[in-house]
Amino acid sequence: MSTSGSPSAAQPRNRTDQRAEVLLGALACAVLVLIAFMIVFVFVKAWPSFADNGLAWFGAGGNVDEQMQNIFNSPADPSDYVYTMHAWPLLYATALITGISVLLATAISLLSAIFIVEFAPVFMQRLLRPVIRLLAAVPSVVYGLIGILVLVPFFGNHVISDGEKESVRYVIQLDGTSVLVGVLVLTVMITPIMVAITTDALRSVPRTWTEGAAALGVNRFRALRTVGIRAARPAIVAAGVLATARALGEAIMLSMVSGSVGFAPNPLDGVTFLFEPARTLAATVVDNSEGLSVKPFGQTIYAFAAILLISSAFLSFAGWVARSSMRKYTLQAR
Amino acid sequence: MKNRLRRVGLLSALALVAAAPATVPAVAVAKPTITMSGSTTVAPLAALLARKYLKVCDHCVNFKLLQGGSDIGVADVAAGRVTIGNSSRDPKPSDPGGLVFNKIAHDALCLVSNKANPIAGLDQAGVQAIFGGSVRSWSGVPGAAQTGTIDVFSRTPASGTQDAFQKIFMGSSKMFSGASQKGSNGLVEQSVASDPGGIGYVSLAFTKNVHTIPYKGVDCTLRNAKSGQYGGVRNLYMVTRGAPTGATAKWINWITHSKAASKVIATQWVPLN
Amino acid sequence: MSTHVQVPPPPPAQPLGIPGSESSWSRGDRLGVAAAWGAGILLCLVAAAIVLYMLSRGLQYLSLEMLVSHPLPSLDQSQSGGFFDPIEGTLILTVLGTAIAVPLGVGIAVWLSEYARPAWLARAVESGVEIVAGTPSIVLAIFGLLVFQQSVFGFLSFTADGNAVFGRSFFTAGAMMSLIALPLIVGSTREALQAIPAHVREASYALGKDRISTIRRVLLPASRRGIGTGITLGMGRIVGDTAIVVVLLGASLQIEPENGTPIWGLLKGTGSTLTTYVYNNSPAGEGGAPQKAYAAAFVLLLIVIALNFAVDLIARGKEPQWTR
Repeated sequence: MSTSGSPSAAQPRNRTDQRAEVLLGALACAVLVLIAFMIVFVFVKAWPSFADNGLAWFGAGGNVDEQMQNIFNSPADPSDYVYTMHAWPLLYATALITGISVLLATAISLLSAIFIVEFAPVFMQRLLRPVIRLLAAVPSVVYGLIGILVLVPFFGNHVISDGEKESVRYVIQLDGTSVLVGVLVLTVMITPIMVAITTDALRSVPRTWTEGAAALGVNRFRALRTVGIRAARPAIVAAGVLATARALGEAIMLSMVSGSVGFAPNPLDGVTFLFEPARTLAATVVDNSEGLSVKPFGQTIYAFAAILLISSAFLSFAGWVARSSMRKYTLQAR
Repeated sequence: MKNRLRRVGLLSALALVAAAPATVPAVAVAKPTITMSGSTTVAPLAALLARKYLKVCDHCVNFKLLQGGSDIGVADVAAGRVTIGNSSRDPKPSDPGGLVFNKIAHDALCLVSNKANPIAGLDQAGVQAIFGGSVRSWSGVPGAAQTGTIDVFSRTPASGTQDAFQKIFMGSSKMFSGASQKGSNGLVEQSVASDPGGIGYVSLAFTKNVHTIPYKGVDCTLRNAKSGQYGGVRNLYMVTRGAPTGATAKWINWITHSKAASKVIATQWVPLN
Repeated sequence: MSTHVQVPPPPPAQPLGIPGSESSWSRGDRLGVAAAWGAGILLCLVAAAIVLYMLSRGLQYLSLEMLVSHPLPSLDQSQSGGFFDPIEGTLILTVLGTAIAVPLGVGIAVWLSEYARPAWLARAVESGVEIVAGTPSIVLAIFGLLVFQQSVFGFLSFTADGNAVFGRSFFTAGAMMSLIALPLIVGSTREALQAIPAHVREASYALGKDRISTIRRVLLPASRRGIGTGITLGMGRIVGDTAIVVVLLGASLQIEPENGTPIWGLLKGTGSTLTTYVYNNSPAGEGGAPQKAYAAAFVLLLIVIALNFAVDLIARGKEPQWTR
């Protein structure tokens, strides 16, 4: 919103001002043009893969890695290109790992925010500020390094029992790179952002509101849980959207720790389900980024990227809708 | 007045920066650049050879080395994106036309397992059973120190090593679909070295941290590969679009004919002569 | 929408409710408090674990020699060379990315805050910046590859013999990196500009200045703190990003400049940064030298922490006094 003051200053009177406005406006439009280009380019490249498969692209059927190998080995003649791809295992893995991580992170961040705002002793409040800042700043490749050098061998050699490995051994092998490690590290990566935003929001709830609840006999925890969290709902939604976007786009760390097989973990396997490897869309794109120049293979990878693009655009939109619908009941979110 | 001076100064600085790239190439001697991409097996060999060559010819060229797998090297060179595509597999009928596969060395492909699991040897039937997925437990493999599930590590679709392994060891058997696909020799070596139940295949140059499994009774060593006794020997190629010319031709010629290059190759690979 | 991490100072210590009354709460609430404590302590423990682990491993493997020697291609990576070139690469990329992002970001923020006409366009640009902020960096990377491999952009990287544009160079990586930093700079600058009270602008107009002069002479200098915060946050994100470098920087071990002028040629060439160096030396990459990966990751962590510390310092700087 423009805070430019009096109406007479709102009309540029000289040419320098007009030129400046046009120039800056053009700069701003450059962002829009860029996004438009990005969406158009990626979709144009991805279209043959979608067109050839139709809706079956999103379905299951066959082994994703085998299909990618066949696409890669397509004959040189463009009319003979193989595009068959049923990407369900990748979509499922993405939804699974992102979903579980965001749920875990939301729970932890809500509890942490309540802790920081109300229950933590002052020294801990002061300690947690740089702690959260630090956790948010660590690059994803460092998280991936710790994951692959510490967590993966730990789970592979000490937690996953031989019995579990044997129970699935004709289908998939469990070597430590798994959904569990991916979810754990991803949760650690996205929690700090959510904690910071939620704490901000809880703090900006007017003290009188929670004091009013306390005056009615509600205890501290419940006052915060009912009044505070409810008032901060738009911010929590915003934090959730931000965290989901970060989780969706996380490619490097997940490609290091969650597995290099395009496998759909089977929930019916019980606990073993968490130990099975999976590969998200973003991790698949990074793993196969060298093959982008080989025609049908590259177009399939661009198709994955197109899905990622749609999801993040959809997320932004959903977040905006959720925030604006909550606006009339609660505080303004930032 | 000050504004105008500032503007003139800014414009002339910009003009200088823009004109600079145009003027200097006329002065500097343009060094040819040889870009190589492709096989992760050939990559360390190419890097060592390039280092030696730069010393020998006194930095007469620039080298760029990328990886990605043999198929990517072949596709890149066919499209003109790189000068040389490194390949660790033989030419396939589906390869684009007009390519020349220049053989530069031989390489031994070793079966490897974890150092805690020194398998005494495998024959072709054993390899097909393990890598094909019909035998999934180490208790079904004679001579294995492990008892748990077999963790099979293979390569991604773009790999020439994968092609060579399929051709030489697997024949018509298909690879186990649950095998973990790794993007390079280094990754397979890493995975097998850190997993006591692991098994995989790598080029001889990548066997420092793992136990090499004798194939058909013959140890996978450089000497056995040279003498031809070891059954898993394959060719390494540098692929060019058409016959190599100019600086590229000199480079490939040096590799295939000079003694210095043979000495470099002989450290971990088998020279041609 | 503020996308950076900022935790405001603790509130006044007036207790809410009756202190010491926890024993009379319901079980659910007591469990809730225990869970809240648990979550807080968990955060501290995880952070401590990461820091201590990286510190111990990093100091164990880091040596001064590694910081200044060049990486060498060799079969046994644990013996050969250091990571001077990747450090140089990180620096070059950060400077390039920031240099592109700052004029763009500040310009967009100024337009959004001061002009913003027509209104639908302003809203569209706002959502546009948010979409860029939410796009995964891997998607930006392969989009960059797509764009810069067109022959019209051949001057930004290397063109192979077959007239195919390589598309990977410091220039192209820097261009996409600037998109990573852009939303942070736009957000911080906007916040800073909006924090300036209206009477300052009115005073400037009353003195006869037009809007662009007001912006240049009064508003931007006053928002230096916010712009500085945004720039440093953006630099932090650029330093830590791996996906764009993996795809767009050509993944060659040493920095190999193109022919031509020293600086222009360097930027047209390929190289590696600390992030790809860590990635390549980890078990996920080629090197198989976790010691060097740890050392480089430690240096990377130090750089990122230093940048965040700088954000703190800048943000704590002197607040411009608008009222006397």
